[in-house]
Amino acid sequence: MHSAGRSWLLLTGFVLFYVIYLLFGALVFSSIERPVEDKLRHDMETLKQEFLNLSCVNPASLERFLVQVLAANKYGVSVLRNSSATSNWDLASSMFFANTLVTTVGYGHTTPLSDTGKAFSIVYALLGVPFTMLVLTACVQRLMYPLVLAPVGLLQRSGMEPRSATAVHFLLLLLMVVLCFLLAPAAIFSLLEVSWSFLDGVYFCFISLCTIGLGDFVPGTQPGQQYRPLYQVSVMVYLFVGLMMMFLLLHTFHKMADLHGLTTFLQLPHCEETDEDREPIVDNKLEEESSYPSDKAASKPLEPGSQPSYNTINKG
Amino acid sequence: MMWLIYICLAVAAPDLLDPKSAAHNSKPRLSFSAKPVVLNTPEDECDTRTTVMRWKTVSAIFFLVVLYLIIGATVFKALEQPHESSQKLAILVEKLDFLAMHSCVNSSELEDLVKQVVSAVRAGVNPSGNSSNQTSLWDLSSSFFFAGTVITTIGFGNISPHTEGGRIFCIIYALLGIPLFGFLLAGVGDQLGTIFGKGIARVEKMIVKWQVSQTKIRVISTLLFILFGCLIFVALPAVIFKHIEGWSTLESIYFVVITLTTIGFGDFVAGEKGGTEGLEYLDYYKPVVWFWILVGLAYFAAVLSMIGDWFRVISKKTKEEVGEFRAHAAEWTANVSAEFKETRRRLSVDIYDKFQRAASMKRKLSSELGVNASMNQEMTPGKRTLSANLCENRDSYPNLTLSLSPVSGALTRNGSLYLNGLSPDYADRREIAIIENLK
Repeated sequence: MHSAGRSWLLLTGFVLFYVIYLLFGALVFSSIERPVEDKLRHDMETLKQEFLNLSCVNPASLERFLVQVLAANKYGVSVLRNSSATSNWDLASSMFFANTLVTTVGYGHTTPLSDTGKAFSIVYALLGVPFTMLVLTACVQRLMYPLVLAPVGLLQRSGMEPRSATAVHFLLLLLMVVLCFLLAPAAIFSLLEVSWSFLDGVYFCFISLCTIGLGDFVPGTQPGQQYRPLYQVSVMVYLFVGLMMMFLLLHTFHKMADLHGLTTFLQLPHCEETDEDREPIVDNKLEEESSYPSDKAASKPLEPGSQPSYNTINKG
Repeated sequence: MMWLIYICLAVAAPDLLDPKSAAHNSKPRLSFSAKPVVLNTPEDECDTRTTVMRWKTVSAIFFLVVLYLIIGATVFKALEQPHESSQKLAILVEKLDFLAMHSCVNSSELEDLVKQVVSAVRAGVNPSGNSSNQTSLWDLSSSFFFAGTVITTIGFGNISPHTEGGRIFCIIYALLGIPLFGFLLAGVGDQLGTIFGKGIARVEKMIVKWQVSQTKIRVISTLLFILFGCLIFVALPAVIFKHIEGWSTLESIYFVVITLTTIGFGDFVAGEKGGTEGLEYLDYYKPVVWFWILVGLAYFAAVLSMIGDWFRVISKKTKEEVGEFRAHAAEWTANVSAEFKETRRRLSVDIYDKFQRAASMKRKLSSELGVNASMNQEMTPGKRTLSANLCENRDSYPNLTLSLSPVSGALTRNGSLYLNGLSPDYADRREIAIIENLK
């Protein structure tokens, strides 16, 4: 079958392209970071040597001490003087942790230490992740009307043709999201956090909103942080709303790609409409569809088996 | 992961989102509900009603999520805080011991050293041990692994870029790579689903002979999917990790779940112990781990979207039931009010009839009485003579009901006595009697 063969070809193409992309990223990261790492290692060696020269400590006991300190630090327990007051597991921090678990960001600055904690995290995550996903999709569906469909309708009524209207709207939405959820919070973070620069703030916002969550920057973990619970709760709220906006952006992009025929061309999944999304954009889409008869005919969702999708689970 | 689930949902749940396609699917989806027709909830209700319900649903779910977070927070706090305090105590004791043992070191120097060591470790450089036999964290294979963690949004964080250039590149790289990986995942998941679906079809053919109902088949196939997937993607790798990495069983399962849901804390990372503890890995260990992550992610995405499906179906069912209940309630209310109206109408008709009859009788009575009254009140000359004559005979004729009010005009005009409510016969008889008397 032509369509099945084509889908296999596309899949292998994707996989190949993905592997090449990974290799490319590996090369670039390696060349950028490796010299810095070497220098840091050299610095540490000299530091250790200086310490040992000045004191009566022998290397072995220092090693042992350092290993223990590092093991404790991995779990967020610090040996430094002024960190004994704040705990990593008071209510606000635990809620922050639960939030990172459930949104799959997973910073890792604090991790469960006890076995029961680990077992509970497993169960909690397995239930919480789809739950959060449901909430986010529900919220995005609600937000679609006032933030996407209404403005696009407005643009269309003022005389623009549908495709350019959606493109213009998408660009505006992108600009707004970048401004409000990337640049502005980054500026705020760079003010509130002592050691963060503006770029660090942007980096943190981006890594968190993509749910990558490397964990090298986590707000609110400095020892002398004032109003820590309030700070952490507001970061949680920011994460949630930011995730919602990213979802919305993705959905809008998907619709726009549909309208421009990109998804059909690449045999990617269509953006399916729910009942409440029956707004002018869909009517125009149907109009547009008439201009791509051959492609659209093969990709109409009403014909099972013609599209690569999870529906094929049933057909066997 | 959210991106990936979104894409998988868009692929996997078109019949949930679009009832028309559900009707065209020959078999129901791999989901809890056996009747996709259930999902074709006719949304013909007026718009205001559906939007009201949806806001309510969304805010209800939102409050549920907040509640869930609070519950999680309290449980984590209860479980972890004691452990944390004991760890703090232990490390403090260590520090004091160290300072006591080596009196030439003062506290602040030690803290400086510790701070620097910690930040170095964050950068991935481990100062303990000799620097000669340490492998770099940024050699090609590790960088490849790091790039993989960025794109899959797992983000372990045991390695992270520290230069500005590295961070900017990381942002751009993720922007392009995450959607790419998302599409790949959708494709892989689809193939996975096809393979599984074929197997299920064969099993179903066997089961059908035993004449089991469709619902049971659906449930069984879902359970089989989950079981097989868990075996291949969770249990087997956990055993392998346990042997190679030296973790406990719980830690291996914990690592597998945390990785495959793309949370990726980074406290346990497969393949990263090589530098510090001298474990030798086989060459193909890391690529196999990466491949396992890819397929396992597709499986987890399928499972999580299935759970999401169930939530959605349950909520739709609940909405349906609530809708049905509302319809019933509305029907009942309509019936009751219709009945009430009917009763009211009947009653009012009754009352009206009775009232009419009473009014007519009253008029009769009043008209009879009115003759007497008007005889005493309105005396025209003709009337006076007549009344005078009649009055003489009033005692003997007490039941004179002749009305000599203006109706008497009618007397002369019509030639017949037609008093209010009185039947003409009666009037005639009276008339005859009066005339006889008058004579």
